[in-house]
Parts: sequence; structure tokens; C-alpha cells
Amino acid sequence: MAAATPAIHDLARRVIAFETARDPSDGPGGAAVRACETLRVPLAKLAGVAGFRSLMTRAVALATADVPWLAAVRVRADGSVEGFAEARTDPGAMSGGDAGGVVVVRLLGLLVTFIGEPLTLGLVRDAWPDAPAVETDRSTRGQP
Amino acid sequence: MSADERVTIRKLPTGVPGLDEILGGGLPEYSFNIIAGAPGGGKTTLAHQLMFANATPERPALFFTVLGEPAIKMLRYQQQFTFFDPTRLGTAVRFVNLSQVVLEKDLGAVLEEIVKEVEAAGPGVVVVDSFRTVVRKAAGGTSEADLQGFVQRLALHLTSWQATTFLIGEYTEGEVRDNPVFTVADGLFWLTQQVERNSIVRKLQVMKLRGQASVPGLHTFRITADGVQAFPRTFGLTGRKEKAPDRPRLSCGIAELDAMMGGGIPEGDSLLIAGPSGSGKSVFATQFIAEGLRRGEPGIVAIFEERPEEYAVRADSLGMEFAAHRRDGKLNLLYLRPLDLSVDETMHEIIDAVERTKAKRLVIDSLAGFELALAPGFREDFRESLYRMIGALTRTGVTIVSTVELIESFTELALSPYAISFLSDDIVRLRYVEIGSRLRKVLMVVKMRGGVHSKDIREYDITAAGIRVGGRLMGYHGLVTGVPEQVAPGVRDGDESPGAPAHNELG
Repeated sequence: MAAATPAIHDLARRVIAFETARDPSDGPGGAAVRACETLRVPLAKLAGVAGFRSLMTRAVALATADVPWLAAVRVRADGSVEGFAEARTDPGAMSGGDAGGVVVVRLLGLLVTFIGEPLTLGLVRDAWPDAPAVETDRSTRGQP
Repeated sequence: MSADERVTIRKLPTGVPGLDEILGGGLPEYSFNIIAGAPGGGKTTLAHQLMFANATPERPALFFTVLGEPAIKMLRYQQQFTFFDPTRLGTAVRFVNLSQVVLEKDLGAVLEEIVKEVEAAGPGVVVVDSFRTVVRKAAGGTSEADLQGFVQRLALHLTSWQATTFLIGEYTEGEVRDNPVFTVADGLFWLTQQVERNSIVRKLQVMKLRGQASVPGLHTFRITADGVQAFPRTFGLTGRKEKAPDRPRLSCGIAELDAMMGGGIPEGDSLLIAGPSGSGKSVFATQFIAEGLRRGEPGIVAIFEERPEEYAVRADSLGMEFAAHRRDGKLNLLYLRPLDLSVDETMHEIIDAVERTKAKRLVIDSLAGFELALAPGFREDFRESLYRMIGALTRTGVTIVSTVELIESFTELALSPYAISFLSDDIVRLRYVEIGSRLRKVLMVVKMRGGVHSKDIREYDITAAGIRVGGRLMGYHGLVTGVPEQVAPGVRDGDESPGAPAHNELG
């Protein structure tokens, strides 16, 4: 299994920053959940609801290796995330914002693994059509 | 109704090399088609190619996926093809997953969902993959009339919305009869994959196409990194010009043999040079090409046994400079991948090379090697294939020399193991004769369709400079049997019947 590249980390950071700017009320953690929710619509149209749910479940499972408290997060039948805000019980654990970022990184990383970066970028652009230039940083693209 | 008043059906390009010709010019616009066949037959790849060839942001292609190959995986694999342009996804090419609707709802809901997406996008092309799963799901609790109604409403709606539609399905040929899906369809394209001994051969058949004349029969196709490529049985040569009646002659590079042929090989002819192993067929063929190169005429040699490098080295050893001519692009040595070729595919490669290089001369060395390079199933109808092949090649205007190996019989004069002599305009026969406990070589011009030729049987030798034709082998009769006898004392050479001329003359 390939590790997410710096370019994917950067793309996830931009997406979450855009969501945070759009609605800062629930912080970066909430923004990350909304980012997954925003991706759910085009991905469910492409891969089907079951297809998106499979990807989301895998992304959360991969993220749990880095952020153990994500094990308490559930993915509903429609692919939406449940229990993210309540899952973090240890104040010393990774913050919700950072953990949400890990989930988004894993989800985008899975897409890049399966369909490649250009198609993933296309999906991200379609999901955030009003986001300023969603691109991966060329200087970090392809680096491990 | 006059021809001018009839509606013009625009033909869409398929984006598949060779397929437009098979379809009679392209895909009828707004037609409702089925791409059928067994799994692994290339249906999805073909549909993608059609889609990318026609989709635009204004008239996009909608690809509905239904319980078949998951869309993510499909994208993963299809993007490996060169025709797949990722920049067009989401704009010109759009994917819609219908799995959930099919699983949870009835045919009416499926139709409603398709209609909704079509009305929103206004697509020029619609693909449903796999439509078979829709039908299977429906079969559980739906009557045949309901299914037919669904297919008819779907066809009606998609045509009304000016979409050209392709339903993809895993069907077997036995299912065609009485199937409502096939009844409604305007076009039915069948893809098969046949195992012939250890070879796999892909074939395409247009079983039905309303409104235009497609080329009947089974056409071979191949799937490469560029996608599907079809090889029409017409070899892409429908309607091309026939040979001009008054044609110049091409020197074969051996002056004496040119004279025997009445001045060389008529341009555009197909000449068969037949003889046993080691008799110099390939030497003759290389001299024919070398002579053309010397005169600035591009040439092609299609070889099946030797590698091009080896072939060029052997020609170079006869002073023919094949390697240099290959470098300057005048000579094309086509090494055709052995073992699973179809005649149509081979011809496509040769004709393509003839047109690309504007070749005047072509050698096929040899027909036996060609036959061995074919998939076993094609060897069975090799003679029929050769008939089509020679006809197609000569229509390009190129002059062809084919070599054919014969197992020497010392009692008769065979011309070809394929009984294809009638396909060749001209035939030169090489053979061994046994004289005085030595094998000597003789050649004879057996046939020149374009005119008179010598009836001499001449001795020849293979030297460091190629074939050297000597004089008539005098003093023997029965040379064509390979075991001649000395002419009886008192009978003049070449005059076995008293009063005949002493030397054969042209004509």
C-alpha cells in the first residue's frame, strides 16, 4: 500500500481550508467531515452509494492506524460519517481538525491509487467548483 | 419519393480504426444499438472508444454503470488506453451509477432515472453497461411485455432526445431469437473471442444495422494500448481503381529473366515464384526489390520466418545494401508477429505500409511462413484468404512477388501447394533436375497473364551477385519431371518433333 504523497496532503489541506473558510463555526474537524460529505455526492454518482461507502470505510480504517480514536467513528449506509465529534475522548490525543485531515488525505489517496491523480483532481474540482485553483503542488507531486 | 427527399442519416465516426468501413461509413446518428458478447470480449472498451470519439461538452456522453464492472475499477483500467482523455471527464464524458436504483427499485424507476439524467445533460451518446443486468433484474418479477415496453420507451426517449445509444450486455448467440431487446435495437454488434488451439482470435460481427449497408461476415479485431482496432474483410479497399490496361513493365533485376517474361513484370501484377528449398526464391525476391531500390522505387518485404536484421544482412551479402535502404526509409522490412495473426490483420499492416511508403514493389516471403504465422483457424481457409488478399493488394497498384516453397516431386511439375496458381498473374517455376548424378537448377516462366513469354527451360545458378541465368539446358528432354533423359541421337535439341524451330522464341 502506497503512502499518501505530500501532494495529496497539500490537496487535503487546501480542501479543508476552503471548507473552514466557508463555515468556520465547527472548526477544522467539522470542515473535514463536510469535505468528505461534499465528495460523497459526485463519488456516489460515479461509483454508486455502496461504492462510495466502501471507499469511505477504508479511508477511516486507514486513518485509524494514525489516529486510534477514529475507531469510534462509523460510516453510515449512505457513506456519511457519524460520531466524529464525539469520538475523541482523550484530550491529549490528536485534535479533531488534524484527525479529519488524515481521513481526507486517506480518501483522496485511495482515489489517486485507483484512478490516478488527474481524474481525482477532476473530481475534486467538480466537488468544489468555486474553490480557487484546486491543484496539487507540482513541487511535491509524486514525492513519497 | 426521390433520393433527394429522403432523410439523410448522419454517420458518426466510431474512433475505432477499420470499424467505420465495416459499418458502411460510421454509426447511424440517433440509433439505438446493442454491443453484445461474452465477458472479456472488449465491449466496454469499444463503448469507451465510441464515447470519446463523439463526446463534446455541449453534447456529452453519459455512461450509466449498472451492477457490472465497478466504475472506479473501470476508470482505473480504461485510462490505460491512449484514447482515454482524462481532461474530458466530468465535462464531455460523464459517469452515472445506477446500481442502487436497479437493486432497490423497478424498471420504471430505472427508466425515470435515465430520463432525468438525459434531460439534464442533453447527451449525444448514451451507454448503459451492463444492460443485461437490468434485464436480469427485471426478469424476476416482470412480464416479457413489460420488459419490451421498458426497452421501447427507453429507445423512444433516447432517440427523441437525439442520443445515439449503446446497451452493453453479456449475451450468448442463442439468446438473440425472440429477445425484445434485440427486436427494438437498430444495430447489433457481436464481439466474440475464440480459442483456436493455443491462439485467441477476436471477431466482430454486425448482425443488424438499420438504414445502411454494413460489410457482412466476421471481421477480426485486436485490442492494443490504443484500444480496439478492427480489420475489415474488404481490407479497406472498397471501390478502389482497377489495373490500367496499358501498364509499364518492372525489371526483376535479372535481365535474362526479364526477357523471358516479355520485358519484365507488368506493373501491378502478382507474380508467384515457386520452387523447392534452396532453389533461390528469396534471392530472386531480394533482387526484385533491390532493382526497384536502384531505380528509386520504395519497396516492402513482408517476412514471417527471419528477423529483419538477418534478412537485411543476407541481402547485403549479395551486394544489395538493404540495411542502408532501410535507414533511408526506402525499404520497409515488415516482420509480422507470428502465431496468432489473421489474414485481415496482416493485410492491414501490409496495405498500411504500402500506402505510407508509396511502395511500388512488395515481396511476401513466404506464403508458407505466412500460413504458419496465422492462428490455426485461419489456416483452414488460407486459400480463400489468399484470394481476397492478392486481389486487395493488387488493387493498390503495387507489384507483388510471393514466394512459395514446394516439395519437389521428380515426376510432375507442381506450381503451388495451395492451388492458388490461378490467383497469380505470372508464375516462375524453379526446380532441380538430376543430370549425371548432379543436381542442377532450371527455371521456366510458366504463365504471364499480361502477354507473351518465353517457353524456354533455362539453367541458372546462384552466385555471390544473385541469380545468374544461363542458356537453355540442351540435349535433354523431360526436364520438367526433374529426371530428364538425353535426347536420342539424330534428334535436334529443342526440336523433338521434326520441322519445329531450333530455339524457342517469345510467344
